[in-house]
Amino acid sequence: MVGRPNASERLRRMLAVVPWILAHPGVTIGDLARRFGIPEREIERDLEILPMCGLPPYTPDRLIEVDLVDDQVRIRMAEYLDRPLRFTAAEGFAILAAGRALLAVPGSDAEGPLVDALAKLARVLGPVDGLTVEMGAVGESDDLITTLQEAVAERRALEIGYYSFGRDVETVRVVDPWAVHSAGGQWYLAAWCHQAGDERLFRLDRIRSVQPTGGTFPTPSAVPAADTFRAGPDDPRVEMFLGPDDHWVVESYPVIESEARADGRVRVVLAVSGQAWFERLALRLGPGSEIVAPAEMIGIARAAATRVLARYGVEETS
Amino acid sequence: MAIDRFERLTNLVAVMLATPRPLTLDEVTERVPGYPETLESRRRQFERDKETLRELGVPITLIVTDQLGGTGDVAYRILPGEYYLPDLALTVDERTALSAAVTAVHIQEGQGREALWKLGGGGDTDTPRLGALPTVEALPRLFEAYRLRAVASFRYRGEDRRVEPWAIVFRRGHWYAIGFDQVRGARRSFRADRVEGAVDVGAPGHFERPADFDPQTALRDEPWSYGGDAAIEALVLIDETHAQSIVAQLGEEAVVERRADGVVVRLAVTNRDAFRSFVLGFLDRAEVLAPDELRNDLVEWLRVRSDRAGGRA
Repeated sequence: MVGRPNASERLRRMLAVVPWILAHPGVTIGDLARRFGIPEREIERDLEILPMCGLPPYTPDRLIEVDLVDDQVRIRMAEYLDRPLRFTAAEGFAILAAGRALLAVPGSDAEGPLVDALAKLARVLGPVDGLTVEMGAVGESDDLITTLQEAVAERRALEIGYYSFGRDVETVRVVDPWAVHSAGGQWYLAAWCHQAGDERLFRLDRIRSVQPTGGTFPTPSAVPAADTFRAGPDDPRVEMFLGPDDHWVVESYPVIESEARADGRVRVVLAVSGQAWFERLALRLGPGSEIVAPAEMIGIARAAATRVLARYGVEETS
Repeated sequence: MAIDRFERLTNLVAVMLATPRPLTLDEVTERVPGYPETLESRRRQFERDKETLRELGVPITLIVTDQLGGTGDVAYRILPGEYYLPDLALTVDERTALSAAVTAVHIQEGQGREALWKLGGGGDTDTPRLGALPTVEALPRLFEAYRLRAVASFRYRGEDRRVEPWAIVFRRGHWYAIGFDQVRGARRSFRADRVEGAVDVGAPGHFERPADFDPQTALRDEPWSYGGDAAIEALVLIDETHAQSIVAQLGEEAVVERRADGVVVRLAVTNRDAFRSFVLGFLDRAEVLAPDELRNDLVEWLRVRSDRAGGRA
């Protein structure tokens, strides 16, 4: 049995496959396998058990009949399974959420078959308009996703203007766009960056301009997984004690270490992915928190505060 | 030869669904082959099977039958009206569109594929993967409460809550249930991944969603406007480098003035901590212009940072 679906999984899909066969007599095993994404051998195995099932007293006139002729399936004596089982809460949620999410993608067809399908689902699942999925911000241009997707499909290199949040600078770079995807409520472009000579993820809401370079690139061998944040092994670390008002940091950032201290504060170690990123974090920390080490990070935090103060006409006295 | 469990479960569904009256444990196990001899093992086996069917979503109704002069006996039935998925009359295009959506938007540990089976499968689609959504344990039950207009009861931040969910929203990487918290007597939003333990779903049709509630704007990106501080209006200059994105976020109506060096926006502040965090997110590329009170707050906050090197003395 190892590696095969258990009885419960087999029952779950058979309660869906049998109604389909009843409604489509003569359907082939191959079509069922494609349609339901189940290997042909497993469908055949389940169909072999089915003729032993039915209603008491399990005489031939009460058992389910399965005819398999020339790969075509017909089922009789299973009228009580002529419609599938209703959705579970998890199934209803999953299909609606996927549909609502796809509709929320800028450029999706607002009057297409997906809209009609969701309206029909709403008849059995109830109102769906309150299920709102935001896949992420795309900045100023609604066609950005479409533009990028076309470039991905046609393997056209692009010159993009990109605002680097971590470093607080805007740069222009040439990239080979590999894939567009949303993860963690943000849209990303996975691409080969010619400037960095490495793969990079670009947030769509920070792409300021897109121009085709006129060049193309070969199909990438493997598109990297959709990680949203990867602490580089060379990223510097910072150690902090967080007061109760700043415990949100632990929930909002991937921390490398964290432990509660006796004084009610939490000791954390974070990877610093960019100086500006760290400056923002440091300036937001309340008086109950403390940057412990290293001295370089303490210096960066102080310099950032001084720099912002200068904007308000306040010069540091010390 | 022992009877395959898949075979027994299939017969169990058939018998309970096709018999037009409730059946007792004895009647079920007598009709369905494959149950053990002794009463105790038979009962245990049936309980396990029943649990498996419930997990699959098979609705098993428990009926206590009154017996003359005796204690009630428990009987079970699958009511056809509760079992069958109503015919949705989906067209081929509509089914394909749903299939494409399930392929394009991957819901971690979601059951979109199982849902598609019930609609007749999807077949191959060449849709590229467009996105991934997380799911959390509480989510299907919160959604159930939302769609049934039922009160959801759960523990949250160490307190028992009773919530009328008006919307289920995914934003910035997290799922939220937004609605009326009966315990607090106010509108609240709850992060689904912070719900502690199980969600109890009450009776359907228990509340009405207010007509003026808009799920699209229910969770706005304006944390400074969620708080109990005295309302105060702030004017903030955002440098040209960040002007476009801030206008995209806040909308044109927030713009007070466009200048060569940036854009001045108006914010209604009722949460000063959140306002300060928002402004500091721009580092030295934003400046609180007015009122003096908020401007001085910020300067004081930064002085502490610069004097004490981000730490406590």
